[in-house]
Amino acid sequence: MSYYLATQKEIVDWIRRLAAENRLYFPEKHGAASYRFTRVGPGSDIQFDHYTPTVVPPVKLLVPAREELLHFRTDADGKTEVQPSLDTSFRIIAGVRSCDLKGIFLMDLFFREGVPDAYYLARRENTAIIGYACNTPCDERAFCAAVDSLDHTEGADVYITPVKGGDLLVEVKTKLGEKLTDGVDWKPCEDGAARRIGAVTARPEPFGRTFPAALPEISKIVEKNYESPVWDKHVKRCFSCGTCNLVCPTCYCFDVADDLHLDVASGNRTRSWDGCMLPHFAEVGGGHNFRPEPAARQRHRVNRKFTYLPEKFEHGAACVGCGRCGRQCTSHIDIFDIVTDLIQEGAR
Amino acid sequence: MKPKIAFFDFASCEGCQLAILNCEDILLDILNLVELVEFREALSETAPRYDVAFIEGSIHRDEDIERLRNIRARATYLVALGACACNGNVQARSNFVAPAVNYGEVYGDEARNRVQVDPDHWGLWSHTRVRPLDAVVKVDAYLRGCPVVPQEFLHLVKSLLQGTQPFFPPNAVCVDCKMNENECVLERGLTCMGPVTWGGCNSICVNKGYVCDGCRGTLPHANVEAHIELMREHKIDDRDIRSRYRLFMGAEPIGRGV
Ligand code: SF4
Ligand code: SF4
Ligand code: SF4
Repeated sequence: MSYYLATQKEIVDWIRRLAAENRLYFPEKHGAASYRFTRVGPGSDIQFDHYTPTVVPPVKLLVPAREELLHFRTDADGKTEVQPSLDTSFRIIAGVRSCDLKGIFLMDLFFREGVPDAYYLARRENTAIIGYACNTPCDERAFCAAVDSLDHTEGADVYITPVKGGDLLVEVKTKLGEKLTDGVDWKPCEDGAARRIGAVTARPEPFGRTFPAALPEISKIVEKNYESPVWDKHVKRCFSCGTCNLVCPTCYCFDVADDLHLDVASGNRTRSWDGCMLPHFAEVGGGHNFRPEPAARQRHRVNRKFTYLPEKFEHGAACVGCGRCGRQCTSHIDIFDIVTDLIQEGAR
Repeated sequence: MKPKIAFFDFASCEGCQLAILNCEDILLDILNLVELVEFREALSETAPRYDVAFIEGSIHRDEDIERLRNIRARATYLVALGACACNGNVQARSNFVAPAVNYGEVYGDEARNRVQVDPDHWGLWSHTRVRPLDAVVKVDAYLRGCPVVPQEFLHLVKSLLQGTQPFFPPNAVCVDCKMNENECVLERGLTCMGPVTWGGCNSICVNKGYVCDGCRGTLPHANVEAHIELMREHKIDDRDIRSRYRLFMGAEPIGRGV
């Protein structure tokens, strides 16, 4: 691990150079108030300035909304030939904030568990990540500090922190990071670790929204409140539109379907995003739906983030506090408010 | 034996049939696998039975009802093709206006007064009861949209040819928006029918900078109450909210009730 100090301009020039030679994605303004991780080129406008989390998280580059998994063909003798469609092309995702880094870190765990997901891993192992620290909360919906993701840097190959004086502290964290920074002429920085701590302590306190209880306690409260009026309260305004799932950096559910060609002998197997707030998600063969009510679906979603997955993986909350679900829900139903209500309900 | 397929149209612009004719690359392959027995836009024949009947258009007059029942009696599988057949479409707006007023608006008062006393024209007055197909007969599958989405048509045809159930998830247009990483139009201070509308359209209107007007009809689980509240919070007055619901959903219970 090594540290450098560089100016904004030097970093932007470096990203542009990388973008000229590689497939590189960076958050780009799109629409009135939104950002998207977009493929950029050497001439693109690269700004590390403040941005609110992108509409969908950068994990879309590891699990796209729709992807072909394999192609199959059965010949006249009944022999089936299967051709997987693995994407092993190299890509760089730059400008990834800590909440999204933690999201990718958790997705790595989820997709490696059990039968490792070859499609996710093929992309992940060919992806370089350049992270970027937040020194102020992105907006009033963020609660990354409350779920321990504000200082998450693991998974980044290079991690950049703005430090006092306006320069950028560059932390090269992996072999791949060394390759990306090969030949740069930035100032090496001996006291990088101390400067990083300096930047961390200079942040506002509290940073973003905070819960009225500590994380381990929250898990217990959410679990204990399986029956609670809170589950009915927020879903009064819910459309079951699934937005909260589809924009979440740690929601990984997908649906698999076979698309047979007209010859009925060949076709593609595809997968596409799915989400537990969608009405038919828990419907099984025969038509039974395990969670027909929005309240049951919401309880499931919140439990996934705060009890089920934390218990299973032992890496803290599976919510990274990016605030996307509350920000983008058309009814502004916010998981932070739901959890806060449960805590207050429990305290009563 | 090849399955017999037929296309019929009622009150519609026939744009859905054109949308299907636009699937040129694969349409000829499909036509090799089926026997097309009726197609208003392409040939003219009648057959005693149809394996699949595709029906475009909304139902207005008594003779439409009779014709539709006749088709239903001869069809094993009946598909509502497009917004007119599935949810009545824009013409159902006329359900909310007295027939004579409508007629006068389009043709002028003099013409209205003339036909009003002419028994040969009395059939005209029944056009004020615009209904989707399922208000009259059982519908086995819905291909939604104004016009239909060619990919959904192909999915349905392939499924039927393979003997599987076509599946159209009851998801809101918001799902398509997320798949396309659209900025929600609410961010621009606009309102949208997307949260209560059947998705599967690839959110084409929002992709192009417009809002969702709800052409695909209301979802079975649509939270209309919350949606009306949301529109009110955005300072849309109740008359405009009603109008938004009646644009494409006027013949649905929801459009009638708002
Ligand atoms: S985004 Fe909001 S309205 Fe949509 S399913 Fe989630 S909570 Fe419900
Ligand atoms: S649950 Fe909401 S705040 Fe938490 S990670 Fe998912 S989108 Fe972000
Ligand atoms: S633009 Fe309309 S359809 Fe798209 S997410 Fe927003 S409300 Fe839903």
